[in-house]
Amino acid sequence: MSTPGPVPRSHFFPRTAAGRRATVAFLLLFALCMPPFTHTVWNRIEPTVGGLPFLWVVLLAIYTLLVLVLVRVYRNGI
Amino acid sequence: MEAWVVATGLIFLYLVATIVLGVVANRRMTVDMEDFLLYGRRAGFVVLYLTVVATFHSAFAFLGSGGFFYTHGIGFWMAGTWTVLVGAITYVLGTRIWALGKAFGYMTPADMLADFYESEAVRIAVAVVSVLFTILYIQVQAQGLGYIINVASGGRISFELGTLVLLIVAAAYLVAGGLRAVYWTDVLQGVWMYLAVWIGAIYLAFELFGGPIELVRAVMAERPDLLTLPGPEGFFTPGMWLGMTLTLSFGIVFQPHMMIRYYTAIDAKTLKLLGATTPIYLITLYIPTALVGLGGAIVMPGLDVPDRIFPELLFAYAPAWMTGLILAGATAAAMSTLDSILHANVTVLTRDVYQRYVATDRTQAHYVAVGRVLVAVLLVVGYVLSVRTFGFLVVLVTLSGSGALQLMPAILGVCFPGRRTLTRAGVLTGIGAGMVTLYLTLVVVPHPWGMHGAVWSLLVNGVLAVAVSGFTRGPSSETVARIHGEVERFVYGSGEAPPAIEGTS
Repeated sequence: MSTPGPVPRSHFFPRTAAGRRATVAFLLLFALCMPPFTHTVWNRIEPTVGGLPFLWVVLLAIYTLLVLVLVRVYRNGI
Repeated sequence: MEAWVVATGLIFLYLVATIVLGVVANRRMTVDMEDFLLYGRRAGFVVLYLTVVATFHSAFAFLGSGGFFYTHGIGFWMAGTWTVLVGAITYVLGTRIWALGKAFGYMTPADMLADFYESEAVRIAVAVVSVLFTILYIQVQAQGLGYIINVASGGRISFELGTLVLLIVAAAYLVAGGLRAVYWTDVLQGVWMYLAVWIGAIYLAFELFGGPIELVRAVMAERPDLLTLPGPEGFFTPGMWLGMTLTLSFGIVFQPHMMIRYYTAIDAKTLKLLGATTPIYLITLYIPTALVGLGGAIVMPGLDVPDRIFPELLFAYAPAWMTGLILAGATAAAMSTLDSILHANVTVLTRDVYQRYVATDRTQAHYVAVGRVLVAVLLVVGYVLSVRTFGFLVVLVTLSGSGALQLMPAILGVCFPGRRTLTRAGVLTGIGAGMVTLYLTLVVVPHPWGMHGAVWSLLVNGVLAVAVSGFTRGPSSETVARIHGEVERFVYGSGEAPPAIEGTS
């Protein structure tokens, strides 16, 4: 790949501690709603939660937490 | 009053409302390209929010997702993964695209990529990918509209006539008010479709089962296979899960009708708030469609066309006014995507083709007039594609969802500065190889080893883009410093882009 003159430091990794925390939190939570978790540990109907299947509720909880991470990032101006 | 009269009447009222909005938008419009094509880069939060979610959720989300739950079960609840990812992409990547667009006057995805990679070949490749794979969505949405109006009228309005009328309405308000009209009608459409799907699903759940929880209990008792992965037909394998997540997040965001929306935001803060909150709308729309699909599998098993489960249930069990309200909502879902795709194609063809290669030095009014003519041309193309069957289109539609995903390495190379950059040769090789791989892994041997073709194509694309960039000449130091410097300043500087610079793209 080409190596042009002076360029900014890499943007692929957050530079601030708050940015790193938010990125790690999002990625860890996101990993929880991807295989293999979805197709193994979460993949069951019982125990139901409020009458709803376990898989559905777990995924809803993870999605909610992911949105909360995004909202928190926005509120903290990261 | 019969259900079809109410349903058709409400759809007609809805169409009148969109035309009125188009006329009002026309009176607010100034005749220049930025206003006609980019809303003058002044879209505030509410308008931008509703246009993004309405555009993202097409007729598929409204009708098709119910069919997916009906056939494959709870696996489609994975929709949350790609919708939340869209929010994160908007927050991290969309803001950078906005900043570069404002700083350097970009109007299309090809503007940005051709400027950075200093290549007209890149511009053409991106424009071709943009138009080729999104023009097919005109066909898909137009067919959805024809189907909806045919169902709503109880077969009294033919599919062909319904498609034509709704295409003409969408084209009319786009011609009248440009992107402003699209955005304003999207506000109406975004609210209508959301309320409609929730009201319809909750009503049906109480009418048929006594409530949503009782509906789920009935599914647990009679069709437990619908409540675990990979579903009754084994569709939701881990590889499909991963591939659909990639395709329906990055693959949709990189389509021109979504990327252009980033350019239109009034400021970066608006776009960040958009990223943080759009998943709420996008995810929660799939709760009622899950109720419809899963409940429908119990009440009305064995449908030949599962996508029809929502209207079939409505006509069988809901009052006429509600059926009309909801089918108008389905019309809104399809039209909000259709008008945005029409607009995006007009933008790409006007900016990347006509202004660049046909007539480079004309007035703003001239380009706006050309844009309006192109709307009419695309209307005809969309109609012909919708009512005729072409063999090659079947292949292209199969590829279309993952086509824009092939722009991912190139876009990341622009928006994320690193120690090294991709080169024009690397990017072009990656896109070309990605397209060939996509064809092989979606059409010739679909989803090899259970992994979605999009994943294979992106792997090949990314590896080749990096490898070829290792021994070919990259963008000049000046260009890299200018564009990556702007990204650096935007992300780690003041957080806002500077005033626009004319004519640098």
